[in-house]
Amino acid sequence: MPKFTLNNQEIEAKPGQTIIQAAGDHGVEIPHYCYHPDLPIDGNCRMCLVDVEKMPKLTPACTTIVNEGMVVRSDNPRVKEAVRGVLEFLLINHPVDCPVCDQAGECRLQDYYMVYGLHTSEIPLNMKVRKRKVIDLGPMVVLDQERCVLCSRCIRFFDNVTETGEMKFFGRGDHVAIGTFEDRPLDNPYSGNVVDICPVGALTSRDFRFKCRVWFLHATDSVCGGCSTGCSIRIDHRDGAIFRLIPRRNPEVNKSWLCDEGRLSFHELDNSERIQYPSVKASDGTHATVSWQDAVSSVDSRLKEIRQSNGQASILGFASPSATNEALFLFKRYLGTQGTTQFEFRLDSEDKNVIQDEDKILRRVDKHPNSMGAIKMGLVSSELDGIQGAINSARAGRIKAGVIIYFKPLVRRDNDDEAERRIRELIAALEYSVVLAAHTADWQTAASVVLPVAAWSEEEGTYTNFEGRVQLAGKAIEPDGDALPVWEVLAMLIHASGAESPWMSATDVFVTMTEQESAYSEMRLEQTELPGVVVR
Amino acid sequence: MKKPAKVINVRQRAESESSLAKEILAPLAGMGLTINRMVDNLTGKVNATIRYPEERRAYSGRFRGAHILTAREDGSPRCVACYMCATACPADCIYIEPGEHPDPLIEKYPTRFDIDMLRCVFCGFCVDACPEEAIIMSRETEICAYSREETMWDIKRLMSRPELPEFGLGYRPNEKLVDSTIKFTPKQKEKKPLAGRVTLKEDVEMIPHVTFDPTKD
Repeated sequence: MPKFTLNNQEIEAKPGQTIIQAAGDHGVEIPHYCYHPDLPIDGNCRMCLVDVEKMPKLTPACTTIVNEGMVVRSDNPRVKEAVRGVLEFLLINHPVDCPVCDQAGECRLQDYYMVYGLHTSEIPLNMKVRKRKVIDLGPMVVLDQERCVLCSRCIRFFDNVTETGEMKFFGRGDHVAIGTFEDRPLDNPYSGNVVDICPVGALTSRDFRFKCRVWFLHATDSVCGGCSTGCSIRIDHRDGAIFRLIPRRNPEVNKSWLCDEGRLSFHELDNSERIQYPSVKASDGTHATVSWQDAVSSVDSRLKEIRQSNGQASILGFASPSATNEALFLFKRYLGTQGTTQFEFRLDSEDKNVIQDEDKILRRVDKHPNSMGAIKMGLVSSELDGIQGAINSARAGRIKAGVIIYFKPLVRRDNDDEAERRIRELIAALEYSVVLAAHTADWQTAASVVLPVAAWSEEEGTYTNFEGRVQLAGKAIEPDGDALPVWEVLAMLIHASGAESPWMSATDVFVTMTEQESAYSEMRLEQTELPGVVVR
Repeated sequence: MKKPAKVINVRQRAESESSLAKEILAPLAGMGLTINRMVDNLTGKVNATIRYPEERRAYSGRFRGAHILTAREDGSPRCVACYMCATACPADCIYIEPGEHPDPLIEKYPTRFDIDMLRCVFCGFCVDACPEEAIIMSRETEICAYSREETMWDIKRLMSRPELPEFGLGYRPNEKLVDSTIKFTPKQKEKKPLAGRVTLKEDVEMIPHVTFDPTKD
């Protein structure tokens, strides 16, 4: 473990680390453009130059491996002058696009200029090199060659991470430009990542283009609800609307990357209408809006009746692999008090798909974020073996009633309609069905009770990914109408059934879950922050 | 400590306080006021009152009145919807919706630019913040409306100012740049000889926005 001194501060680095990595681990930021922790080291931008004692010239911190006893300074006038010189060179031909550039507010040229630069450009304006602007590189990315600082992060991303090599440098001297061959679109399920890694506004997101200035956005840490990989993300939202999803760096799960489908998954939330109010089917077949109080007491009393007349095994609990762990825990608790032994969640063999890769980088076949959470919670029935077994059982009359949680997946695949059709069949086969859903669908008119619940990003909760890693997802926006988080609805049902229901927040449910669920015992809430904790 | 009130008998007060000297001097004081007034009027003392609306005050060139959105040479708004004014505004009264401009050198323009004139405090921060000199202020103060909707000024109202010549321009960054209502005449640049490989915007055609269609080429 080599020890070195950085700005008079003694730092212990891991063996093989470079100065910039060791400094980053200890909170000292060295300015850089081309260095990225998840890409191979290039050393071409020369912004990270530091003064190492006994080295005659300044050395880039991203390529210099720490040796024992090094004395490094990154804050003396020699270094500051060098950094300012690099900035001056970069800003000579950089267009003054800040008013129209989406990167304004999170642009590293702006940030470093305010700290190190603050100089006036001395080049006459008519000598400035001009390049092409607003080039469409496919549906996700817009390229502006003039803004590029030639750090080659995008080139290294496509060469090393996706291994498709779509972007390269074209030209020589001060006419070098970044681009794809013949402006071909980026046909890549990970093309949106270059928008994140570009330090300037050369590569910007077509989806987010001009939607909102970044300083108006609030950020909430969360977990992507697109598939069972559970990439760590940050939701950027304002006034109850989500504008974009940005990946957070989680070295254990997704490094710094996010697939394009996950990036756009929040649009699915607005694609159909939301259920606003609880409704109960009256005797003439139409649904009447009721208050939560009435809905909850009606559900509980009816389930009690069915249990008394038909026995304990006649109530089915069909959970959703998109619900949070807290929701699934209270689901099991409530139906357990009703005597249910039949739990299922599988619409389409999610237990096999949950660990199945869809490609070699991030995506998995199972497009639900919490299938492993449902498996660990024990919501699997070997005799029912999926929804088809539940449908058959209901048709045969062994199951009379069911409480169903259904969330439509945020990343669509061809077999989603199949899955919804099976839910419709299940509801048709049941005598009494309670549906907890967020979005309206025509099969809900057949259900006896429909309760509106909060969708992904509207409630706080934990999700368990394919390898058993539990991560906390924060609440970004409010749900529509009277919708409540699933755990809260179930807590109300537990209270209506007469049992103790002391939970006031999702954290309370989490704590109870760690006390009473064997799969999650000895887990603390802090462990669910980045990078999450794997439970066996 | 409150002083205890005195009990007054008005007849006793009149008898004790009246005097001949006071009776003679009181009208003289009034006359003195009148004579002072006459002397002021004769010598031209400044009277600050003006008879508005027939007479108006002359405001300075930096007066902060109602806003104007300036135009380019072709008449389109100079604004590029950068949100600097909306961010700087302390009253949060500017609402902008951006759109994609077909010219890649301009890239962004406002499809909506609304100022809620009832929220506006006329501080001029929007003019200070604007990087494009797209928003300036005039010396117009007579803005009235018959309904609340009329006080929400949209981009058309902000760009067209029929009464502007009467009031004149007010708070703006560069006094020489905008010389008349909302038209802009560019400064004449002298041709300077240049060395090396240069790309002059005025002399040569801009590098066109080329896109290849791989299916057709």
